Parts: sequence; structure tokens; C-alpha cells
Amino acid sequence: MTSIGPMITRRRALLAAGAGLTLVAPGVRAQGFPDRPITLLVPFATGGYNDRLARAMAPFVQKHVGQPVTVVNRPGGGTVLGNTFFLQQPDDGYMLMVHSAGPYIPVSILTRNARYKADDFWMINLPSRDLTLMACATDKPIRSVDEVVASLKRDPRSLSVGLQPASADLINFALFCQAHGIDRSRVRVVTYDGGGPARNATAGGVVDVGLVGGEGFLPIKDRIRPLLMFTDEKNSDYPDVPILSDHAKAAGFEAAFVEGSQRGFVTSKRFVEAAPDRYRILLQAIERATKDPECVSTLGGQQLSTTWYGPEASNRAYLATAALMERYASLLRAS
Amino acid sequence: MIDTVAFGAAVAMLAGSLDAWIWVIPGLLIGLVFGALPGISVSMAMALVLPATLYMEFLPAIIFLTSVYTGAGFGGSIPAVLINIPGTSSAVATTFDGYPMAWQGKHNEALGAALFASCIGVLLSYVILLVLVQPMAEVVLRIGPYEMAAIGIWGMVLLGSIGASSVAKGLFAAGLGVLFGMVGMNTAGYMRGDMGITWLLDGIPTIPAMVGLLAASQLFALVNAKFIVEAESERSISLRRILAGGMLVLKNPVTLLRGSAIGVFVGAVPGIGSSIANLLSYGETRRNARDPESFGKGDVRGVIAAESANSSSEGGSMATMLALGIPGGGATAILLAAFAMHNVIGGPRFMEESRDVVYAIILSNFAQAAILVVVGTLFVYGASTIVRLPLRYLIPCVLVMSAMGAFAIEGSIAGPITLFVFAVLGWLLSRYGFPVAAVVVGLLLGRLIETELLRAWQLAGGDVWYVLNYPWALGILGLMVVSLALSVRRDLRKRRARVARA
Repeated sequence: MTSIGPMITRRRALLAAGAGLTLVAPGVRAQGFPDRPITLLVPFATGGYNDRLARAMAPFVQKHVGQPVTVVNRPGGGTVLGNTFFLQQPDDGYMLMVHSAGPYIPVSILTRNARYKADDFWMINLPSRDLTLMACATDKPIRSVDEVVASLKRDPRSLSVGLQPASADLINFALFCQAHGIDRSRVRVVTYDGGGPARNATAGGVVDVGLVGGEGFLPIKDRIRPLLMFTDEKNSDYPDVPILSDHAKAAGFEAAFVEGSQRGFVTSKRFVEAAPDRYRILLQAIERATKDPECVSTLGGQQLSTTWYGPEASNRAYLATAALMERYASLLRAS
Repeated sequence: MIDTVAFGAAVAMLAGSLDAWIWVIPGLLIGLVFGALPGISVSMAMALVLPATLYMEFLPAIIFLTSVYTGAGFGGSIPAVLINIPGTSSAVATTFDGYPMAWQGKHNEALGAALFASCIGVLLSYVILLVLVQPMAEVVLRIGPYEMAAIGIWGMVLLGSIGASSVAKGLFAAGLGVLFGMVGMNTAGYMRGDMGITWLLDGIPTIPAMVGLLAASQLFALVNAKFIVEAESERSISLRRILAGGMLVLKNPVTLLRGSAIGVFVGAVPGIGSSIANLLSYGETRRNARDPESFGKGDVRGVIAAESANSSSEGGSMATMLALGIPGGGATAILLAAFAMHNVIGGPRFMEESRDVVYAIILSNFAQAAILVVVGTLFVYGASTIVRLPLRYLIPCVLVMSAMGAFAIEGSIAGPITLFVFAVLGWLLSRYGFPVAAVVVGLLLGRLIETELLRAWQLAGGDVWYVLNYPWALGILGLMVVSLALSVRRDLRKRRARVARA
């Protein structure tokens, strides 16, 4: 029985979407909006953080927007395919994205020649922030970040470092090396196409040290020794791990870092400008859903974040990441 | 190694709950259907039903998903045998001998053998999982680029010139496949050969390309035929012969065990998975056979080797997922997502605290393997009717289905375009006597070998002798050289004997 529910809504969504394309002309007033199902587009495959976030939020957004909410995945090309597809949709508010907007959108522009711009997108709320974690396998002799620094300073080739190319982690590592006067070009950097493989390599001791988003490490927390969190405030997932700002103060340099992933609800700037009334309705529904106590407890149980930052703070954080990415674009390309 | 208290609790959990059982048969059927549709992979079938599991209890949800997993693992072999199109990328090697068998009117036996090899493979892999889950996961996590590259090279050496009339043509075809496999962004972030086309950022879509290559080459061969099976008397669909095919599996226990062992251990390595296990097992069986030239011409051992390996990969990849919380591939990534949707975090702590649930999942999979024998036999019985379908109806249907599958997998016209381009290429290649199977092998293995060799080079920092730190990789390569030398010597002896006789 239960398996039939979502199928019906999906079929209805498809029918409605087909009908809607022909009916809704641009510039329609917010009257009665929304009068058909809303689609959440996830530019990643099923099962990742964004997909889980979208599927967990869907029933609550549905409750507050008054229309069925369905999730569609469109993975590929480091989100270029999903982003391009999204921008091709009519600005009628019937499709939103759940996305790791920072750093994926700016990175896709810088490294994959995507044709859109960072500010073509508008952040509604980015509740999940993932940070770069430097870690090693528990059976490695490395005890602390200071040992990593000492070892790399003595001989940059002494440790292998696993990370993803064109990622916030790479930028953080580059800034870290720069601050410590380590010749990064001589460090044995091993590249992995995905956070999962990079984490496996770190936990298995295939590489000496790994720099990857900390959240994904949680299920295998017992197998790694966290060394340094690239942030300026203590993280609740890793309360005892040294943070970059303290480490930088002790070492006598200015702490500089990029946030790993900023994930949440995204729409296009064009839509916000073309249909401000509709945008306000969606914004309100998402805010209410995010703050809904039932939603907070449900998502909390699935280790999904429900912080409400709002569009202003979210856009600021996203654009700051985009600017930093652009500043370090040469690092991203020459990896 | 087995915690008897938790084991008892697991048995009670399964025995006392109807919910844990009602989803098994629907799951297997969904898996069989989606696995049998060309283009839809195991993980896609699971992704399709994932949202539905949100509304189930945790254990039934996981059992439902693993049933789809088990069903799809076998489903892929049905079109592989009947129409030479692997339903999933893990059934490529099944086509090598399965389709020639169908061509000879032995489709009943081929499907029966594939089904029994799959079921026994699943069963064996879960038995190994039950006993060895922890140590296996530990070993798998330590496998690095050197070992993975060695496994890839091993596969390439075994199968590089498969189906070729001459070694040169085989190598050319495999090289072409490797080149195609390298299109897109490599692991270090460099873009190659994408010609500015956004769709090629992730490389050439493997499954549409594969279906195009294999389908076109065989449709070409069918131009003058009226049916897949020429002789009318052979076009029968017989339960007895399907079961007789199953019995052939039991008569080749070494092939079955070798395939299952390769499947469990290769399938357990994150990032390698069942399609590589499927190829490796086939290659090893062919090399070890006393009469390797009978392979590719409808040797049932080829089917058994291929199917036992791709099905036993399931147990292998479940080991890393349950013990470490690490997905070895798409299918286990979806299982982990289902875990998360039920507020369960997979991994070492889950293994410790919910040992009974883990045992219940494993035990349920024993049952699934047994039920698959029955459900699969009936399904195969129905599916074989397509040998009675005149080709003038079958070929258009296959083409439409393949195009739809290619569209489904990419969600855009890029899939069907890839299918078409590679169909033309496949036709050209087979027209001039180049083996398309070798192109597919290159496509599947080339990417793996390139990625791992690149990482190995990065790890070594350019030092060639760094490989000496990896005895396992050297061991694999050493074994490979020795076994190759042995088979070359055997071939030379045979040739000399033939010359002497003549």
C-alpha cells in the first residue's frame, strides 16, 4: 500500500508539470499560487546528503505550502547538468533546488566552463555547513596537526595527502601550506573523485593524511584520528578537535579558510525578480517548515541540519565562498 | 565469530514478523524486471523504490531493498543470454557464452545455469559474510591504488583480446575501448576529449555505449535470420531443460566456487564492484580450462563463472557497508541512504549494537536466494518466450527498449545519441572483424586502471621503485605473469603436438 503513495504523486506531478508548461505564462500574479505540485530538483544522485535533505523536508514543505512536493534527481557533470536544466525552467516557482550551492556552483563555473554565473542563483536557506577536516587513520603514528606541519616542513614528500581536486578542501590545504611555508608542489597529493573514496583512503591508511568534509566521517569516526577542523568556532560533531583559528594563533599567522559545503534550498535570481509575490510565499513556507518542531526532531534524528539562516545570511555566505573560490581559481585549475 | 544470542534474536525477529516477508517476492520481481530491461542498472532499480521504503519499518525496508538487489543481480543475465544485450553492466561476460548457447537452441539450459549460479553465488557470499564480515572489511579498507591497478591489469590481460580473430585486432579494439573510457574529467581534475559537450563531462555514458556496441554487432549478424534459434524444434521452452541447466552448475563446482570467491572479494572492494568481478571470473575460468577455445562458442562454464561472480558481489559489498558504513558502489550507497532515512547510521557501531538486525538481514538474504530459485525459474520461463518471436518483431522492440533504457539512465537525449553513435561504431567494427566485446572490456577496465595508476603515481611522488612497498600488488602481478607463462607454455606444447601430428 505504502509504496503506491509517492508514485501517484509523482505521476500527478508529471501530468501537472506537462499541463502547467503550456498554461502558465510568465508574469502571472501570485493569486492562488501554488495550485499544482512543486518539484525539488537535486543535482546529485539518490542517497547523498542533498537527496536525503530534500526527501526529509518534502513532507514538511508540503504541509506549509499546501501542495504535494516531490523530489527529482538530475546528477552529472559536477552539478553542471542539474544547474543548466534548472535555469532552463520557467520562472514560475514550481521548481526549487536542494543543492550544495557552495562550493559546487562556483567550482563548476571555474573548472567546468559552465555558462551561468554565480549570482544567477538565489539562496533561500542553506542550513547545512560542512567543514574541511584533516584526519588520519587511527593506526598512523601521527598524533597531532603539529606533527603533520613538522613533518611536511622537514620534507614535503614525507607524507601523502588525500583530497578531492577542485574542492574547498584543496583550497584549505593550499592556504595551510602557504601559511606554514610548505612547498605544496612537492607534497605527494593523491586526488580522489568524490568525498567517499577520499574518506575510505584516509580511514584505510592508504594515504597518510586526508582532508575531506567532516560530516561524512561521522559513521566511521572510530577509525580516524581527527587532527584539525578548518573553522573559527568549535564544531558540535567534533568538540575536542583543534580548530584552525587556534592553530593559526599559536603558529602566528592569520587564519584563512573556505567553508566545505553549504547546502540547502536554492532558486534562481530571475524568479525572485520576476515573481516576488510567489517567492515570498515559498520563502514563508520553507521558513515555517524549517522551524516546525516536528521537522526539527525528524531531521535531527537523520543527522540533517535545520538551522534557519534566511536568504540574506545564506546569500552572503554563498557569495563569499564564490568570491574566495574565484580568488583561488588558479589553485583549482592547476591541481 | 557468530554471536549465538543475537543469532537467536534474529531468527525470532524474522519468524515473528510477517512484514519482514511480504516484501521479498515483490522486491525480487521488481529487481528481475528492472534488471532485465536493458539500461537500467541494479542501483537505478533500487533508487526507484527507495522513496517507497520511507513508509516502511526499518527491517522490512532493508529486506525489500536487498530483494531488489538480489533480483536485479540475476535479471541482467536474461537479455544477455537471449538477445546479447547485458541488462546491467555486471552481465557483460554473461553474453560471451550465454548468447551463443541461445543461438544453438540451448537458451533453457543457459538461463537455468545462470539462475542457479546466481542463487548459489548469493547464498555463498552471504555465508562468507556471516562468518568473515569483520576481517573482510578490514582487508578491503586497506586496498589501495596499487592493488586495484593490479586487479584491473589482470582483467585486461585476461580479456584484452577477447573474441578476436587475431591478437592485433583484439588489442586495437581494447585500446579503442580504453580511449573511450578516458573521455571526461580524470581523477586529478583534468578534462580530456569532451569536445566542449557538457554531457561528456562525466565521460561517455557507459551503459548506452555498451548496449549500442553489443546490440548493433549482433543485429547485423541477424539480418538474414528469421528467429534467434534457427531450428524450430529447438525453440521450445521447457521447465525440465531449465532445471537441467541448473544441474550443470552443480556439475561444475570448481567454476562456481572460483566465481563466487572472486565475486565476494573483488565485489567487496569499494569502487570496483560486480561488473569487474563478472569479467575477471570469466577470464580466469577461460584461462584455467583445458579447452579455452570452446569459450565464446556456448560453453556453459562461461555462464556459470560470469553469473556466480556478479551475484556473489552482493555479499561482498554488503560486508564493507555493514562493517564500516562505507558504500562499495551505487547499490550499497542506496542501502545506506535507506538506513539514514530510518535514523540508523550504518557502520561499526551499528554492527556492535544491532547485531541481531545484521543477522536478520543476512538470514533474510539466505531466504531470498532460495526464493529466487522459484521466482526466477518462473520468470525465465516467461521471458524465454521471446525466442518464439519472429525477429522482424523482436528487433524493433529491442531497439525501442534500448533507446528508452538509454534515455532513462541519462534522463536526456544524450543517452539515445550515445546508443546510436556506438551502434554505428559497433556495426563498423564487427563488419571489419574487430571484436566489440574487447571494446566493452576496455571501456569498463580502462577507466579503472587509469585512475588507479594515476593515484599510484601521485602516492609515489614519481618514484618508480615505490611500488616495492606494496607486496600484495606485486604478488597479484607475479601470479599473473606465472599463470600466463604456464598457459603460453601449454599452448605452445599443444601447437607443437598438432604440428607433429600433421
